[in-house]
Amino acid sequence: MPEKKNHVVDWLPAYTLGSLEAEEKQKVEQHLSECAACRKELRSYQAVMAQIPLAAREYAPPPQLRTAILRQVEGRPHPSPAAPAASPRRPWYAPLLQLNRQPLWGIVSLLLIFGLLVSNLLLWQRLQQLQSPRSDHFIQVPLAGTGSLSTASGLIVISANGRYGTLVADELPTLDPSQQYQLWLIRDDQRTDGGTFSVEDSGYAVHYIHSSEPLLQYTAFGVTVEPAGGSPGPTGEKVLGGSF
Amino acid sequence: MKADRSSLLPAYTEMDDAALLQAITAGQSAALAALYDRYGRLVYSLAMNVLSEPAAAEEVTQDVFVQVWDKASRYDGQLGKVSSWLIGIARNRSIDGLRRRNARPEGHQMLWEDGLSTNDPPVESQVETAERKGRIRQAMARLPQEQRDALALAFFYGYTHQEIAAARGEPLGTVKTRIRLAMQKLRQELGAIK
Repeated sequence: MPEKKNHVVDWLPAYTLGSLEAEEKQKVEQHLSECAACRKELRSYQAVMAQIPLAAREYAPPPQLRTAILRQVEGRPHPSPAAPAASPRRPWYAPLLQLNRQPLWGIVSLLLIFGLLVSNLLLWQRLQQLQSPRSDHFIQVPLAGTGSLSTASGLIVISANGRYGTLVADELPTLDPSQQYQLWLIRDDQRTDGGTFSVEDSGYAVHYIHSSEPLLQYTAFGVTVEPAGGSPGPTGEKVLGGSF
Repeated sequence: MKADRSSLLPAYTEMDDAALLQAITAGQSAALAALYDRYGRLVYSLAMNVLSEPAAAEEVTQDVFVQVWDKASRYDGQLGKVSSWLIGIARNRSIDGLRRRNARPEGHQMLWEDGLSTNDPPVESQVETAERKGRIRQAMARLPQEQRDALALAFFYGYTHQEIAAARGEPLGTVKTRIRLAMQKLRQELGAIK
């Protein structure tokens, strides 16, 4: 590091802007985790960052945008700020116990449950057919959760010509808005950006893969946690990985 | 539109940003409307400066405020001001949109405003007083042009040092120095404007 006493003060402006390369950024973050003085310096540059857009050209948003935003949020469930209070956990079969109190709804519910069971059976059979690594039309690459996210999983489905691909991920934790997941296309130890994505509150995500080269040219895939918008190279925790 | 704004309870328009976020966390959409009235123009302008396309800037702005609605409970006041948080989200989403379109802006004609323009709203919002905006713009105007250009590429397009050097055909060390000096000078001049 070029700083006196190994501080990273001179690197903080570029770090704040996100202009450092991945290796430099990692060094700065390592130092920041141990140095209160540099963290204080960092906050002063973050304050500058927040004011920079005030110096740029201004544009008036269209008047209907405000209405559109309010309409959108009013139509969606608002996540509760606090976790559900410590209500006693009900067993999964609790609703069934109440069916005898409402006979009509009970019959409808039972028919619905039966229908879902049949539907699941058909889907399971279809899944078995598709689970060969390379079907006639699609190539599939399963991704497994890593580290503490061992229950997370993913599946990359690539078209037969290798030009189009989609990632489906499940059981990934939702991230702070300042972070996103980023897919990496891996070949010869080189990581190429495959796009960023976020997960729904359920932990589920579908991400269309952007790649200038056929996806079959890559040998493996990985997903890491990165600052929102993505990074030039992987910097955060790896959460999913898999290869052909 | 005006009817909507005038119907806001005075309590929302008088709340500070952190209190508005608490109200948003409680599911009060009027608090989000008040926050939009304070920062909607700033967020939209930031997105326009990055993406240069009204439809894309609208999408980013909408995404930012919906994110605020969904994630307000995760805001940590110890990590920075609400405005910094909002601008961080807006900048990241905008640059994300730029990368998704695989767009590399040509010419990098970033137009910093040197003073208050005639397009400014007649009544400045609580956080964007004319005096404050003017001081920031004057501080930016005092930077050498090459530092302003490098800063614009880093801030609005998310370029790394190496990408700026490649885009401008300049030595990497020169770019690093320009970015550092620009931010240091701005901090020095803006330090008193908290």
